[in-house]
Amino acid sequence: MAEPTIVKLENVTLGYYTIPKGWRSLFKVKQPIVFNVNLNVIDGERVVIIGESGSGKTTLLKTILGILPPFQGKVYVLGKSIYDLPAKERKKITRQIGYVPQDPYKSLNPRVKVETVMMEPLERSNLTDREKRERIVEALKLVQLHERILEYYPMQLSGGMMQRVLIARAIVHDPEILVLDEPTSALDVSIQAQVINLLNNIQRKLELAMLTVTHDLAVAQYLADRVIIIYKGRIIEEGETRKVLTQPSQEYTRLLISSYRASI
Amino acid sequence: MVLAVKAENLKIGYEDEEIVWAVKGVSFKVEVAEIFCLVGESGCGKSTTGNAIVGILPPYSITDGVLRVFGKTVIEGNKRDYTGVRGRVVSYVPQNPGSSLNPYLTVEEQFYYVLNSVYGWGRRKALEEAAKYLKMVDLDPGRVMDYYPHELSGGMQQRTAIALALSTGAKIIVADEPTSALDAHLRLGLIRLLTRLRDTIKLTLIFITHDLLSAGKICDKIAIMYSGRILELGPSGKILTEPLHPYTEMLVDAVPILGVLKPLKAYGGEPPPPNVEVKGCLFLDRCPKKFEKCYQSHPSPEEVHERIVECWRYV
Repeated sequence: MAEPTIVKLENVTLGYYTIPKGWRSLFKVKQPIVFNVNLNVIDGERVVIIGESGSGKTTLLKTILGILPPFQGKVYVLGKSIYDLPAKERKKITRQIGYVPQDPYKSLNPRVKVETVMMEPLERSNLTDREKRERIVEALKLVQLHERILEYYPMQLSGGMMQRVLIARAIVHDPEILVLDEPTSALDVSIQAQVINLLNNIQRKLELAMLTVTHDLAVAQYLADRVIIIYKGRIIEEGETRKVLTQPSQEYTRLLISSYRASI
Repeated sequence: MVLAVKAENLKIGYEDEEIVWAVKGVSFKVEVAEIFCLVGESGCGKSTTGNAIVGILPPYSITDGVLRVFGKTVIEGNKRDYTGVRGRVVSYVPQNPGSSLNPYLTVEEQFYYVLNSVYGWGRRKALEEAAKYLKMVDLDPGRVMDYYPHELSGGMQQRTAIALALSTGAKIIVADEPTSALDAHLRLGLIRLLTRLRDTIKLTLIFITHDLLSAGKICDKIAIMYSGRILELGPSGKILTEPLHPYTEMLVDAVPILGVLKPLKAYGGEPPPPNVEVKGCLFLDRCPKKFEKCYQSHPSPEEVHERIVECWRYV
């Protein structure tokens, strides 16, 4: 039996609209960023998308999260083409995605306690308050944080702790897939190692699919079974992590690896 | 020979309800045309040390000890005097070039403002100088001058910021995490540019970073800072291959290396908060190799194998 597909992109072209100068400003112009992308993430798989800044990797995540309709192609999440559904139905499905944003310092509201942050994903569930609390404590335990921090404001936490709170929030509602946007780039190396190990433990324990976006090749080899190299909005290489990073078939991948080696 | 920077038991604190010491007594020497790295986690005092060298400490800070920049004493006790040093001898390249360049001014205007306020030069003289330094960082002055910062790419912004820092004739540049926002190939370009400037115009570089590996790639010397002290200081090759202090070992173990799939060791714990008085070694809580002596006091710096280490195991 084939493994169930969690996320599937079919010939997706997407981007943003720009408004040209002059009288033509009446018309919006399509500005594609990502071209003809096919992508498949199956249950329990760890996939990493590698690309430089401006290659369209974050844009790709936005469409999976259901907040950026593609110009062309179909986006399937949990077997449903989400942009063919009405907005309400779409949200019901995309709620099954756990999302960890890039910069923990910018993603937590400084005026809201950690408890409220953690409660948000559970708001629409029909659990009792006690069950919600239990869930939250359980999620915090998975990221090695103490219950005590629920009473804290984000600014009282360190960067690594904030990032772990965000990971806990992403898994508290028991999602099918964890989507991470550069999970370690804002962190120090010692905390980075901690977060990488933590993510792998969670993935193994909850048997989640994990889709990560990063520009750091060395981090990618720890977080991926399969890597996808994206350049100027096109997928140019994909395959098993070890194979792609040791014997790349494309010139660009080779260049990426050699410049990474030389700079670090 | 005159040293570029010399610090003797330098302490820097910020005045809150009580004084919070961010830097708790560091001593180091930086020679001319040397690339010197301050490595550490966030909150260890590396940026504060950098700010002290450039002379951009806030007015509510408190200092102690001695800091000399090219022979001129800039900090002695709580007295600070940066006349003739700030801008002219030492210059600063901030972390995020995009937000450090004024978005309302074209590159040309930025150079004119800086050179006019430092040397009082007219527009023509200022722009001639600007062109010289833009060429030095591989930018085409004819093209770049009329651009606003947001019209430049990240790497170009970074290089413009470096040219701007050099344009006052600075001999020392303090760069605060210049590579952390950049992709691998831009980072490589920047590293090549900085080492070339060191060779051609005898630039002294003080590099502040949390990335031990990229520090090892660029620097001649590395100082590992933790909680306001330098725990280990020495030539970069040695520090990376044979770390002496347990903290350095921990940093080396935590860095993922491309092509080597070793298990990443993550040591738990956090550095002690700056407003708490610590009894014993500052690294005590996270140290895997502690013994009785460590609980008594923080060790004083000792010279071991061409390096300076603060650890009871080497006393």
